[in-house]
Amino acid sequence: MSGGALGTLWRSRGGRCGLVLLALLALAAALVTLMPASDAGGAQWAGASLEHWFGTNRLGQDILARALEGMATAFRVGGLVTLGAVALGAALGALGGWRPHSLPDEVLQWVMGVLDSIPVYLFAAALAFALGGGEAAIIAAMVLSFWTSTARLVRAEVARLRGRDFVLSARAIGLPAPLILGRHLLPNTAHILLVQATLTFVAAIKTEVILSFLGIGAVHGVSWGLMLAESTQDVLAGHFGNFLAASGMLFLLLLGLNLVADALQDAFDLREASR
Amino acid sequence: MSLPRYLLQRLFHGALLLLGVTLLSFTLMVQFGPDTAFELAGKNTTEAQLEELRRSLGHDRPFLERYARWLGELARGDLGASDSNGEPVDRLIGRALPVTLALVLPGFLLGNVLGLLLGMLAAWYRQGAWDRLVLGGSVAGLSLSFLVVIIALQVLLCTPYGLDLFPTRGWRVDGIGSYLLYVTVPTLALVIVTLGYNTRFYRAVMVEELARDPVRTARAFGASGREVMFTHVLRNGAVPVLTRLLYSIPLVLVSGSLLLETYFGIPGVGKVAFDAITSGDQPVLLAVVTLTAVMFVAVQLLTDAACRLADPRYGAP
Amino acid sequence: MKPDSTLTLALAVLILTLLTACSREPGEADTPESKTYVHAMDGAPGSLDPAQASSIYANFLVVNLYDTLFRYRYLARPYELAPNLAAGLPEVSDDGLTFTIALKRGVRFVDDPAFPDGTGREVTAGDVVYSLLRHFDPDSRAQGAWLWQDRIVGLDAWKTAGADYDAPPEGLRALDDHTLQIRLVQPYPQLIHTLAQGYAAVVPREAVEAYGIELGTRSVGSGPFRLVSIDRARAVMARNPGFREEPVSLAAEGYAAARDGDWGLEAIEGRTPPFVDRIEVEFITEDAARWNSFYAGETHFIKAPVAQFERILEDRDPLRLTPELAERFHADAEPESGFVYTAFNMDDPAIGDPEDPGQAARNRALRCAMAKGFDWETRNRQFYGGVGQVFPGVIPPVVPEFDPGMDRSPVVHDPEGARRLLAEHGWTAENLPELTWGYPASVSERQMFEQFRGFMADIGYPPEKLLPRVYATFGDYHRAYSRGELSLVTTGWTMDYPDAENTLQLFFGPNASPGSNVGNFRDPTFDALYREAAPLPPSTERTRLFRAMNRRVIEECAAITGLNRNLLMLWSREVIMRPDRSFIGGYGFRFVDLAAPTAL
Repeated sequence: MSGGALGTLWRSRGGRCGLVLLALLALAAALVTLMPASDAGGAQWAGASLEHWFGTNRLGQDILARALEGMATAFRVGGLVTLGAVALGAALGALGGWRPHSLPDEVLQWVMGVLDSIPVYLFAAALAFALGGGEAAIIAAMVLSFWTSTARLVRAEVARLRGRDFVLSARAIGLPAPLILGRHLLPNTAHILLVQATLTFVAAIKTEVILSFLGIGAVHGVSWGLMLAESTQDVLAGHFGNFLAASGMLFLLLLGLNLVADALQDAFDLREASR
Repeated sequence: MSLPRYLLQRLFHGALLLLGVTLLSFTLMVQFGPDTAFELAGKNTTEAQLEELRRSLGHDRPFLERYARWLGELARGDLGASDSNGEPVDRLIGRALPVTLALVLPGFLLGNVLGLLLGMLAAWYRQGAWDRLVLGGSVAGLSLSFLVVIIALQVLLCTPYGLDLFPTRGWRVDGIGSYLLYVTVPTLALVIVTLGYNTRFYRAVMVEELARDPVRTARAFGASGREVMFTHVLRNGAVPVLTRLLYSIPLVLVSGSLLLETYFGIPGVGKVAFDAITSGDQPVLLAVVTLTAVMFVAVQLLTDAACRLADPRYGAP
Repeated sequence: MKPDSTLTLALAVLILTLLTACSREPGEADTPESKTYVHAMDGAPGSLDPAQASSIYANFLVVNLYDTLFRYRYLARPYELAPNLAAGLPEVSDDGLTFTIALKRGVRFVDDPAFPDGTGREVTAGDVVYSLLRHFDPDSRAQGAWLWQDRIVGLDAWKTAGADYDAPPEGLRALDDHTLQIRLVQPYPQLIHTLAQGYAAVVPREAVEAYGIELGTRSVGSGPFRLVSIDRARAVMARNPGFREEPVSLAAEGYAAARDGDWGLEAIEGRTPPFVDRIEVEFITEDAARWNSFYAGETHFIKAPVAQFERILEDRDPLRLTPELAERFHADAEPESGFVYTAFNMDDPAIGDPEDPGQAARNRALRCAMAKGFDWETRNRQFYGGVGQVFPGVIPPVVPEFDPGMDRSPVVHDPEGARRLLAEHGWTAENLPELTWGYPASVSERQMFEQFRGFMADIGYPPEKLLPRVYATFGDYHRAYSRGELSLVTTGWTMDYPDAENTLQLFFGPNASPGSNVGNFRDPTFDALYREAAPLPPSTERTRLFRAMNRRVIEECAAITGLNRNLLMLWSREVIMRPDRSFIGGYGFRFVDLAAPTAL
């Protein structure tokens, strides 16, 4: 199914643009992890030049190198959050959808209701505290906030599919429930998962930037949120390098992801408002 | 299901939800939260003084006892007092909430109205040039980070590096003129970041409604665009629109205001929440979280009621 | 109901809310004649209860809302004490142990419902006793006990006996309504300074009993101003109409024409403070926002952000603004009363002072090497605009005990020497320990860590062995270093009074964390010298002891220290004032005047 998805994606102009953009950015991020930015600084606030495309920051560090490292951080954090949230959402959603309104389903609905009623920044901040701070805590906090939207969709889809013939016949011949779920039902939700993955990726990156800016989500290394936080001080003194580099790359990455998400939604016809 | 029974059931669900929210946030923010005694301790403190502080704060009691006491106070409508300056939390929030409402409402309304109009435009000319333009613009809008928009707008509109038209921060509102002066830039930021989402949502609603038989018939019989849109489509699309509007209120009020108010130094609910995070002010954080959850429950009830009234088909099997 | 009417109704409700939110608060009306001074502060106070006025921000407000026995003269530098609520300077017994302080008569608290008939009563010596005792009441959440602990006769026993305010300790008594007597265990030359702090401000018992912890957002004092409102963004104070009439004598305030002549201060001579009707203090923590609002004319005073120095200064020595700014603003630079430093946690076996003498010597070499590898000049240039003053040890240049002739080698960047020292003591990239460095989340703190990691990489310390720990709140950071979770503690000290004793106590053993000795430095020699110097009044003998203590800190490489920041203050030309941002700054508000009524 996902091979077909890639093909559909490629056929739409937006999807193609998005994929190419993402591939280029991922390549840049991969390259930069081979040569991490160093703390040692040169001249403070150097202007843009061939050597420093976006100039240097307050410590004299090369802003381009840091922005690229921020890209690696974005891919790492976004990727891990997406993986965690979609996997958790799919598993729990399938569980709930298999027997709607059973006790496990009611508990699941309650948990989702609870999580969705806590503002995400406050929840992430509190959870990050509880887990002792650091990057892992932030990733865990985002996974625990973002899985519910996937779970809701998967739950609805599984509940819809379980009345279908192929499921009924599988049950009739006595296949165990986990097998039916894993073999027959979940693969049929792949299009939902794919779309959810891109949307979660976008949400994770946006949230990380804001949490880092607020000083809640301190990741190790460099992140765009930290660069933007630095830039709020820089722009005052007329240094725009940090702001342009971080916001520019952030925009490109989010644009790539959104183009792909868009094309996927078109391809699967998933854009009805009242699903 | 009869309406009273139905309402009773919803209320029960709401209560369960509130219990979950408070238990979860109490566990996270109190049990695993920061030790407020260290925050309040002065320059040259001692272990003995820290102990006194904990006792005075009630932090030396077991978790369940503290939770039960807090729930009891909550049930009586007592939100406690801020740890950092002793101000009663209800007064603190009572003062901050109107500011937040005044700050985010124009952006919220404008974002939705503009989104609705653009969505209608795109849906009416589905697959046409307008549609592509609107969709393309909304993808770009989705890709903007709230933070970037705020920084950029502040530089462009509020500093000598740009047009320097508006105050850079603060909230010294004492009339309609000063209100407009302070609210414009945050409103613009809010509209820019929400417009992409809103437009796509409204377009989807409109596309779906335009595809319905009665609407197609009306169009085929030559009803004018305005007539079709405003008599048929909008009314039928009221359910998803209302749901979305109501559901986004709690989110906009807390999450949306957090960044805006922190950045622009506006003393609303978001700033109160942020300060509570950075000073470990548990009573305030708990109150903000609980009130948001209460709002959610209220919104759910309201939405149900409103949708039942707006569209008789709603809730029918 | 039809959907469109639902929407209309919703809209109407929203607009109504809006209008309510925008309506003018009662009592906020400005008359055309009234003068409002708007002050930008780079941080916000927590509680305004004097007993909890631990931050400089809270102190600024508290000394305006309440009276203290003493204050500092407006213009005299070095700082000089002056009577405030006290009628004169204290009468001290020959043994230096008994202080008798007469209070001014007829000073009244502001009217407040906390008083039986709603009108403020006279301030008495009993109120002073009550206010000081609150610091020893376990239920008061007070934070100033360290200033008086173990120093006043019977005070500690009073606390253990149950903190009964009606039975004050022997050493702290109101002889009558207008006479206070303090008896000390041993001479305490800093006592009068402690009585000029916000902690010692005079609160009526009625208000504490009526409001409890809510007093943190109210004021029931007798200071020159009273509180109108406070929230997280600003405080508004209005003139206290009942404030005692004491016309200004510039000569008595320490006016020096050569220094103070350019600021129009002559206009306040002979007039009765406070001069402005209203003071609005805006709490603006973000540098950019603070500067922008000042530049736009929204605030009258600002401590200029370092990032802006390059654009606002034409010349640094002597200080000169660019012509465009000089037309609108006055400027003055003032060395902060305090300094910034990084203490090594001496309790950490990896870097501190363990039992094993061999390891202790190696650790000392490691600390000294790290100090040599630290580039104070770069730190100064990149973070403090290059105008901070780097000095060795812990006696900053702002106190008289500072020794300008000191050997400066401990603050000279010497990476070569550092590498040599490490090699001599067998430290290699492999066996260097992992060290933790913590900071409360902020951009600058993080950049300082990165810079430090860069400095250390230069002397061969592997960056992956320097681990950052970030804390969302200052309290968490405080807890972390108090529990020994950090190897290095970077901090700043803002002095409470102008006396080197206040910085030397940062390395006094019994003050170890959670006290202010954040590095847990416990040196018997240092402690003995400290105890010997404590009862001495300022004198050459005391200076000798202070400098000997300073040398101990340097010899042991107990800290990477230090830098005295230079604060650049700008204020609008329409304001008549001489600002100060130190512990005395709050006392300047009563003398602030506006040249002409202005609407901002």
